[in-house]
Amino acid sequence: MNVYIKNILRFCIIILLQVLILNKITLRWWSEPSHFPIFIPYVYLLFILLLPFETPVWALLIIGLALGLTVDTFMNTAGMHACATILVAYLRTNVLSALLPRNLSEYSGQHPSIKSMGWMPFLVYSGFLIILHHFVFFTIELWNFTNIGFLLLKILDSSVTSMLFIIVYLLLFTKQNTSRI
Amino acid sequence: MRNFILFIRRFFNLILFLGLEIVCVILISRTNTLQGNDIISSANTVAGIIYQKQSDLVYYFGLRKMNDSLLNENAQLRKKIDLMHSVDTLKDSVVHVKLKEEDTTKHIVKYADYMYMTARVINNSTNASDNYITINRGSKDGVGKGFAVISGTGIVGRVEHVSARFASVLSVLSAKQRVSAKLKNGTNGFVIWDEKGPDILTMIDVSKDVNVKKGDSIFTNNFSLYFPPDILIGTVIKIEEEKKKGMLIISLLSSTNFHNLQYVYVVDNKMALEKKQLEDSTSKK
Repeated sequence: MNVYIKNILRFCIIILLQVLILNKITLRWWSEPSHFPIFIPYVYLLFILLLPFETPVWALLIIGLALGLTVDTFMNTAGMHACATILVAYLRTNVLSALLPRNLSEYSGQHPSIKSMGWMPFLVYSGFLIILHHFVFFTIELWNFTNIGFLLLKILDSSVTSMLFIIVYLLLFTKQNTSRI
Repeated sequence: MRNFILFIRRFFNLILFLGLEIVCVILISRTNTLQGNDIISSANTVAGIIYQKQSDLVYYFGLRKMNDSLLNENAQLRKKIDLMHSVDTLKDSVVHVKLKEEDTTKHIVKYADYMYMTARVINNSTNASDNYITINRGSKDGVGKGFAVISGTGIVGRVEHVSARFASVLSVLSAKQRVSAKLKNGTNGFVIWDEKGPDILTMIDVSKDVNVKKGDSIFTNNFSLYFPPDILIGTVIKIEEEKKKGMLIISLLSSTNFHNLQYVYVVDNKMALEKKQLEDSTSKK
């Protein structure tokens, strides 16, 4: 399949998944202490993470803006998701080139995945960017530094949960090698 | 000039990045004023239609619960009508808008400050710092910015963005909004939400001498520009004392169940504009 069509389809699927299903799930790790934060898992960032290796940075930034604003439109948070997503889109290339053994231009035609990178580098890559995204997003959303413990807790448990959802998504939608040797 | 172009080329990505971030920050800061943009909100037509479709799909699963809540509400309203039956309501009334009465044979003047219309909730959130509800009524149906939204059991929020067919409502579960409220004995205060969970609201600015007990009801008062008075907000579950200011912090169990809102009423206060103009003109001096 053409790389453009594939990514446009993935954009729609991820947005609908995020907006119509995941936004309705309210999670809380622990319900006893009443101040434990509630959150929803954000997986839409996965779209930026899975774009092909050779996507130039300016394109990543524009796509990040479009993705962020789309999510913002649905969640009434004008600009907050876009702000965090653009930051992640900007840093993606740097993180990738720091993690991969070879130069990025040598991976033409591939996109970051467990198959092309291996489990550990991919988890570090997505984990780092997701924590960054959640950090920026929740800081802007709360904008209240009187209760930093609450903020950090919210960032931590929310990013761990988002990571779990992302891993599940990858396990579901990665094509398995059908030809066995 | 050449150097300048080279500089731009070299740092093009960084410049673009900073430019886009500035756009975002402007967007964020503009939504914090109330006349923010309507396009990037779920009152937007595309988002509205998608939410409408989803709501159509899951609508049937909640019908049974909705039936029960409507029956309960009917019973409550009947009780209220019975109370009104033998009372001269016009005797101690303040200023009221006259209702248009087509039928001139009855020589009764009717008054109403508040107009109610029903709306269906097509999207709902309870887990963000500022929660929004999208409803399927817009400016075509006469919904405007600032209209109050209540449910059968209590208050819900205030309309913030309006498009032709949809509107998004900032719910009470938001740091941006405080509702003036009163205790059973008439003491006034404010109800806010401090993210303790979607059922728990907090009432502040109540002096500690006031006699409050667990289980007391909290209602809206007449001060609010939007909410009609005497709408239930919640019941007291915990009373703490703030040592520094000598004020009480009262935790309330919200009477509205924000998890399964299906239908709400949008309330248009006919007197709001006049009252606001008067209050603004006196506060300017």
